[in-house]
Amino acid sequence: MAPSAAPVVESPLQSTVENIETNFQPFYVLHKASSRKNSRKSNLCGKSRKRTKLSPTGPNGIENPDAEERDGSQLEHLRMEALELVWSKMETTIKDVLRDTNVKVFDDICRWVFESFAAIRSYGTPSSSSATRPFPTFTRAEYKILFTGLVLTKNMEVVDDLLTFEELGFHLKSHGCHVASLSSQELSAKSSIGGCIRSLLRQLLKVTVDAADMFILASWYREQGYYENPVVVIVEDIERCCGPVLSDFIIMLSEWVVKIPIILIMGVATTIDAPANVLRSNALQQLCPCKFVLGSPAERMEAVVEAVLLRHCCMFSIGHKVAVFLRKYFLNQDGTLTSFIRAMKIACVQHFTTEPLSFMLARLLLEEENMGFQDGNDASFLEVLSKHASDLLSDSRYPLAEGTGNNLGNILSELKRWRKSWSVVVLCLYQVGKFSKVQLLDLLCEALDPQLLKPITSENSSRLQQEKGTSFSSSYELQYQFSSRKDGYIYQVIRKVRDLPAELLHQLLMSWEKITHCVPEIHENVKDLLLAFKLGNGKSSGKDIADLSRRHASRNGLFVKSSKPMMEKAESFLNSLVSEHMRPVECIPFHELICFKDVRKLQLALIGDPRRRIQVDLLEFQKIVKCTCCSENRNSLLPCAHDSTIMYRLAQEHGDLINLHDWFQSFKRVVSHPQAKGNHRTKQCPTPKKRKDKPSVESKSDASIQARFCTAVSELQITGLLRMPSKRRPDYVQRVAFGL
Amino acid sequence: MEIDDLDDEELAFSRNYFLAKELGGSKKKSSGKLADIDVVDEQELRAAAANIEPKHEKEIAALISSYKSLYSKWVFELRCGFGLLMYGFGSKKALIEDFASTALMDYSVIVVNGYLQSVNIKQVIVAIAEVLSDQLKSRLKNASGSTPNVHQSFTSRSMDDLFTFLNGSNEEDKDCFVCVLIHNIDGPGLRDSEMQEYIARVAACSHVRIIASVDHVNSPLLWDKKMVHTQFNWLWYHVPTFAPYKIEGMFFPLILAHGGTAQSAKTATIVLQSLTPNAQSVFKVLIEHQLSHPDEEGMPINNLYAICRERFLVSSQVTLNSHLTEFKDHELVKTRRHSDGQDCLYIPLPSEALEKLLMELS
Repeated sequence: MAPSAAPVVESPLQSTVENIETNFQPFYVLHKASSRKNSRKSNLCGKSRKRTKLSPTGPNGIENPDAEERDGSQLEHLRMEALELVWSKMETTIKDVLRDTNVKVFDDICRWVFESFAAIRSYGTPSSSSATRPFPTFTRAEYKILFTGLVLTKNMEVVDDLLTFEELGFHLKSHGCHVASLSSQELSAKSSIGGCIRSLLRQLLKVTVDAADMFILASWYREQGYYENPVVVIVEDIERCCGPVLSDFIIMLSEWVVKIPIILIMGVATTIDAPANVLRSNALQQLCPCKFVLGSPAERMEAVVEAVLLRHCCMFSIGHKVAVFLRKYFLNQDGTLTSFIRAMKIACVQHFTTEPLSFMLARLLLEEENMGFQDGNDASFLEVLSKHASDLLSDSRYPLAEGTGNNLGNILSELKRWRKSWSVVVLCLYQVGKFSKVQLLDLLCEALDPQLLKPITSENSSRLQQEKGTSFSSSYELQYQFSSRKDGYIYQVIRKVRDLPAELLHQLLMSWEKITHCVPEIHENVKDLLLAFKLGNGKSSGKDIADLSRRHASRNGLFVKSSKPMMEKAESFLNSLVSEHMRPVECIPFHELICFKDVRKLQLALIGDPRRRIQVDLLEFQKIVKCTCCSENRNSLLPCAHDSTIMYRLAQEHGDLINLHDWFQSFKRVVSHPQAKGNHRTKQCPTPKKRKDKPSVESKSDASIQARFCTAVSELQITGLLRMPSKRRPDYVQRVAFGL
Repeated sequence: MEIDDLDDEELAFSRNYFLAKELGGSKKKSSGKLADIDVVDEQELRAAAANIEPKHEKEIAALISSYKSLYSKWVFELRCGFGLLMYGFGSKKALIEDFASTALMDYSVIVVNGYLQSVNIKQVIVAIAEVLSDQLKSRLKNASGSTPNVHQSFTSRSMDDLFTFLNGSNEEDKDCFVCVLIHNIDGPGLRDSEMQEYIARVAACSHVRIIASVDHVNSPLLWDKKMVHTQFNWLWYHVPTFAPYKIEGMFFPLILAHGGTAQSAKTATIVLQSLTPNAQSVFKVLIEHQLSHPDEEGMPINNLYAICRERFLVSSQVTLNSHLTEFKDHELVKTRRHSDGQDCLYIPLPSEALEKLLMELS
């Protein structure tokens, strides 16, 4: 961050837009960074101010633009910091989760690498005279074996595994290996084997050498301290590599293996026989393979979703529609975890740009982490946050919620409380769902659906009261309850409990006990259940008996007392859990602070759809430009419409080929005869001859109409909606897009 | 339910395609010829194209300025590490340059004109590195009062070194980056995959943010998932402007200005004048034959060879073939099958054009 406030020097900037010269330079520097930023940053934690209204889309104040802008930028900065805090936390969580899912495989690989290294060392080390010779040692064929780890990724999307291999590299480095990785671009026919060696040299020696020579690598390795650490070369994706280049590379490495103990690790997306398909047989002979298997993308996805949206304490949540969109996007469209993570980041950023109070997430996060605020910096930061937040809260944008009095502390603690119990419920359900292979995302989508939270009718209210035997804590909760859909996943999961064998049930109860730890009221009930189970199965110990008698005394022991079978007890517990604690985020007051709901915004930012949208732009020109003349007559083509719009609308009437002559004539008709509405939209192409009898009007505008026609064709060509006439069909252009 | 939607969409799409095909086939092919349009002179056409009256100026200006309210959001997103990709009908050149010169004053901005035919990516990267190094230096000066003495000309460095420099650690100040503004990242100069790979690598660097525009409906096909998700990190923005593609369209030929007799004769002359006198003479032989036998399919290669040898224009079949290859490459000559089965050569120009050409050559 900049240390001091430099005087603000703003150079008057001329708009370079119309500058003809720069238009034809391949590139140029528009301007260099000004020093304004230094001053901007320093006034961030500044004086008090009174907020009136905050528009999330930037400063557009008229009365006091200066103060408005300063204020806006300060809040923006707060949001930025909060975002950084929240996102970095989420990102590290994701990375940790992914690392954890792979850690076992990584350890296996690491062990294997060192075993292989020991095997290579057992061949004996080259004598100092032979080691300094600039060519490989001549050894027996069995010493030319290259140990190769084949890592099955179970995933065709290489993009998801980039991070995995990066992490693997770090893991091996931390155990003392020299690691270099080669991408499929480096193992392509274009860069050839020289490119591979140069890349190795760059990564291992940290220098760029023009000569691609393995001897440089060998002498570097000798200098590293003789024969202590293996060199690991990771090839991320064997299927995308150029087979002959990879084969040559392998053969070359195997020649040098005594001098440089190289161990190869190759990512395989398809099946274990992929190397046989890619490599030549003589290269294949040099390999001594070992197989490792990574987790499947679906498993990783579950783990990430669980960590980020349920266990993670950063509080950031997504609304129901967003969750449904993400699920659909993951299942139907992209299928990569990377895109899911990116979507989460976009959601996060969108949330922080549009929600004025979003910076309160930072406070929640800091509170969670520090418990008390010992850190002076944090404390002052929180103070600033609270001040702004109270200013914003007084804004009428937020409805007054009962019970909280719009007091910030109350609101936040309420949100925190909700979040804990909600995620505990979903996690409990998920534990059961695992037995029947219910996907977490499906469960989550249902759990977030605000429509499932329904007002309690008198009859089921009384039933609930009876079952539970306790009263509800707040009036809000009294009126509503979550009722799962009959064909939904939650219903299915609850029913599933009934069918669980005793052993699994025990397992389940144990996992519930762990999960519910942070919500005492639920935790107590789970303990009860567990106790009841142990009693029922004769697994109870002396301690349990003591516990039991204590519980008998309290009013809590309802599960122990009840004489129902164990499965039913568990089921009714789950039922009460859902109806009582499952509050979809969008039903919580002030959820706007932590919840991102705007699915459309996310969708637009994540998936641009130029093919459709550009056509819509053309066809519905009047809607976007909002001109009065065209909007009135929506269905007819008016000469005042944009030329390309007219042309594209006319093109819709043709088949896949458009006769240029006819097209031109219809265009001419539309633009020169405003009164002839409707007539020109007949399926029949207009006959050109009729125009001949009015030479006086035409000659004047002929050039201009032709020019407009040409320009419109060029514009459609730029957008790629037309293919130009070929030599074979000089009079026709070809349509490219059919329908939106 | 969602899957059904998707299927419906796809069905509608393929139905439209076949309907369009059918429409093209069933309807009697229109016999209208481009030549029937009484096209004005090319120069006049170009002049007229340059002076087209804009429509709805007021509304379009309002539309473009309505995007100004997004500027602060865009800056925020750039700072978060995203790249911005603008699409929608109309030239977005003015819009994003305006964005850069009003909202991005705190950052250095380099503009790349992708609509030009050739862009040297290495030079662009060197320029980015130079600007960044200036920026870093001025920061260091502010911080410690001393300038770092490392300076090596960036032009002499390898691409990998440049990428390493651009991707340097920005732990101490995440806000130190250079914005690269690419007009038409799908433009003709940048369209091939190698170019896109380089741009993607630039985009992935920690000190670089990309703001780009696309116009082509199929432009997403330029990138694979790795590029989109890990390197470019695009945020799409639909910002139709309906502004004329004045500069972007400058390199597209006007469709009506082509195909006229005068035009093709002129092009042919230009090509022929760049060839050797012997080649020109061979072509003349062909012209003469075609003018004197307008009803025949063309001139058999053997006849041409015989005449050319007689006139000492070629010494062997090989030389003739090399001339013919040259002609064919420039589409001055085509072959078709004579009714008696042998291949013969013809010039795909009308007689008037041939006469004119003959005059020009002699």
